[in-house]
Amino acid sequence: MLRYTRRHRILAAVGFASGLAIIATGCSSPSGDEAGTEKTLTVFAGAQTPVVANFNPFSPSPLAGTTGLVYQPLFHFNRMSSEDAKPLLGTAYEFSEDGRELTIDIRDDAKWNDGEPVTVDDVVFTFTYEVARPETLTDAVAVDEDTVKLTFSDPQFVNVVGLLGTALVLPKHIWEGNEDPTAGVNEDPVGTGPYVVDEISGGAYTFTANEEYWAPPALETVRYLAIDGNQAAEDLIAAGEIDYTSIFSANYQSLVDGGMGYMVLPSDPTVLYTCANADLGCTGPQTDPAVREAIYLAIDRETITEKAFVGLTTPMSPTLALLGRDDEWIGEGQPHEDPQTADPEAAGEVLEAAGYSKNGDGIYEKDGVPVELTMNSVDGWTDYNNAGKLIEEQAAAAGIKITAGTFSWQEFSDGRQTGQFELMLGFMKTTSLADPWQIYNDFLTTEFTAPVGEQLDPSHFNFTRYSNPVVDEAVARASATDDEAVKAEAYDAIQTEIVRDLPYIPVNMNAAQTFFNDTDFEGWPTEDNLYAYQQTGSALDMAYILQNLKPAGK
Amino acid sequence: MKYYARRIAFYAVTLWAALTLNFFIPRLMPGDPADIMLAKLARVGRDIPPAVEQSIRLLLGSDTGEPLGTQYVTYLGRIFSGDLGVSVTQYPVSVATLISESLPWTIGLVGISTLLAFLVGIAGGIWIGAKRGTWVDGLIPASTLLQSVPYFWLALLLVYFFSVQNSWFPRIHAYGLEFTSGPEWSWAFVGSVLYYGTLPALTIVLSSFGGWLLGMRNMMVSTLSDDYVTTAEAKGLRNSRVLLTYAARNAILPSIAGFGISLGFVVAGSIVMEQVFSYPGIGKLLIQAVQNNDYALMQGIFLIITVTVLAANFIMDLVYGFIDPRTRHNG
Repeated sequence: MLRYTRRHRILAAVGFASGLAIIATGCSSPSGDEAGTEKTLTVFAGAQTPVVANFNPFSPSPLAGTTGLVYQPLFHFNRMSSEDAKPLLGTAYEFSEDGRELTIDIRDDAKWNDGEPVTVDDVVFTFTYEVARPETLTDAVAVDEDTVKLTFSDPQFVNVVGLLGTALVLPKHIWEGNEDPTAGVNEDPVGTGPYVVDEISGGAYTFTANEEYWAPPALETVRYLAIDGNQAAEDLIAAGEIDYTSIFSANYQSLVDGGMGYMVLPSDPTVLYTCANADLGCTGPQTDPAVREAIYLAIDRETITEKAFVGLTTPMSPTLALLGRDDEWIGEGQPHEDPQTADPEAAGEVLEAAGYSKNGDGIYEKDGVPVELTMNSVDGWTDYNNAGKLIEEQAAAAGIKITAGTFSWQEFSDGRQTGQFELMLGFMKTTSLADPWQIYNDFLTTEFTAPVGEQLDPSHFNFTRYSNPVVDEAVARASATDDEAVKAEAYDAIQTEIVRDLPYIPVNMNAAQTFFNDTDFEGWPTEDNLYAYQQTGSALDMAYILQNLKPAGK
Repeated sequence: MKYYARRIAFYAVTLWAALTLNFFIPRLMPGDPADIMLAKLARVGRDIPPAVEQSIRLLLGSDTGEPLGTQYVTYLGRIFSGDLGVSVTQYPVSVATLISESLPWTIGLVGISTLLAFLVGIAGGIWIGAKRGTWVDGLIPASTLLQSVPYFWLALLLVYFFSVQNSWFPRIHAYGLEFTSGPEWSWAFVGSVLYYGTLPALTIVLSSFGGWLLGMRNMMVSTLSDDYVTTAEAKGLRNSRVLLTYAARNAILPSIAGFGISLGFVVAGSIVMEQVFSYPGIGKLLIQAVQNNDYALMQGIFLIITVTVLAANFIMDLVYGFIDPRTRHNG
């Protein structure tokens, strides 16, 4: 029995090795050996074992690749730059003066991957399909054979990414009459994208190039691996078995030395959520803006970047605009960047000016109430947990007592939905358009919050319960216009308020690490040419990149 | 016969209690699964169109408005008809499908490794017991050390030496990527499964044979000093016969009972190994379910674990009642 098994193991090993040669994973693979078959690009985009076929774009967790590779939106918006959207299925779009009418030109040579032509009817169907219909849409009509006009009840300037950049175009002839589109796994998806589903096993699934696509991609096959845990992913990068992934690795230098391309991009801002608004039920010293400002000044961001985030994070702006990309939206005279070193004296002065004085323990207090706060981060997010400890020490140096603890994700999520917390170390989501409007709208307006104790709507992110009529008014003003000057003025007004009030105390820009094989494949975005956000977690960007790659040397 | 009736009744009641706990515990846990799922999607940078959000809400229907009692009755009814509900993590796949796809991997790998660890431990124990007092006794602390090393650490060490440093064995998955459309009936596939299972199996065997070894060796030592063994030796029987048919046969009884229990935990006991090796078994599913508040999936897996533990114990009870008549009487 044993001998038998061993023989088969060797056989399998041989089979595996030759399999590897075909899959060709980085290190070896002499090029002349497999003439005609090129290397398969292997991606890890977070899939876990077992892989279960699910390509339903309406399902909460379809397999990566469903969005972008099979189903595409009309345009690609690049969140890394302020340039115009790139045409995909749509070739041009135009808003009417008041932003209530949107005219879109559709490519006339596009086909579904089942061979049917893509028509304006499909686009109209997509926007009027019950589950996908935008709330404010009042009318969608085909103007002619390749033009669609959408009419809305509100100006849609700021919603342009949602309409053109993320809404996936659906084939009318397949989805029409489907009573329950959210159910089902849509095993054989028909889309307009550059790839079609090929094969699925428990550990991986593959896509092959869609020959019907109007610009057939250069890479024949793309394979998605299912891996549980970052350690395994890291080992596979080191072994050259993964060509493209975004994972956090403190050990990135050795992977880079091993020959992987590597890029760090600013992604999500790390901030301290404060429950800021006593009127909506927040309690604790942090409801006083002076305390928030003192904490802001007491944080030594340089140390946090170095010690907690292994040097990977970059400064952020107190205006919450993305530095670099959104520079033009930072108002005249607004602070550009957070102070990188701590200034405990200044923090003390702010508190003293607000009527606080130091008690016997060296902690500031007012009316006998010491400035003592609890701050939590999600247990297991070690970078955040460490940052928490550092902030605790730094605040103590400025006479503020912060007790840093950890929460399960569950408690964290509950806490921020209901507003029952003092401080939490959390994050914001970068906007997909080069414009901070969405952050201002989603995180700061009264409409997007609720009294403490009441659950926020899951698409509402004003966790701090901040409510400021000046901000509300300015956000509304900015959303109703396409005029840059009006917008800039509105943003400036918002920035003045939030830089003073600090409902979110900025810490730094978290960095997203991406590893990519630039030996066998070329066409990756570079620092100088960031034509898409290079994160595998961002499905549409990733698909756009895959569509632009080609085998090296061809 | 009364003994068997009593045992059966006991197991029926235990099963019912387990099913009931299985129903209530997840419902008492805090948190709204829909919010958690949306927040998670946002965290990985996914844009969430309103359509998806709406479908998540509908799907998870956090509050169905039905009284708990009614839900409980429906739950019991559905379990007995084999309907374990729909998984949220892998929506819209049914829990029964997910479990039936993972269970063979876990049972195959962990079952065989548990058996291997048992055989290695028992054989080693007999051998060391027979040579007690010589240098071989030194193997005992060595094996206990292996057992006390954290399980995941051992797994990572194996991965580091056999897979990262020297690519002798694959790092992840249960079979090769060349089988692009999943399991198939071919020798190549069987070979691939064995090859891919080697490191995970080695992890389990290395970290668990020590217990069997120690137990068996100690039982051997005490049995070997029993009068009947001395008698057998005095009769001039062959050494191997005394060792195996006289001493080992009696010394193995407690180990067999222990083996029954550890067989029961085959399904549950592989979580860490499956996570490290991305092995598509039940343990992995359980982690996913817990991380995502996937009640239906959690319940389904707990159910399978409960049933296997109970079944293994039940069988051991029956077997024991058969081998050892003393257990059938009220003691």
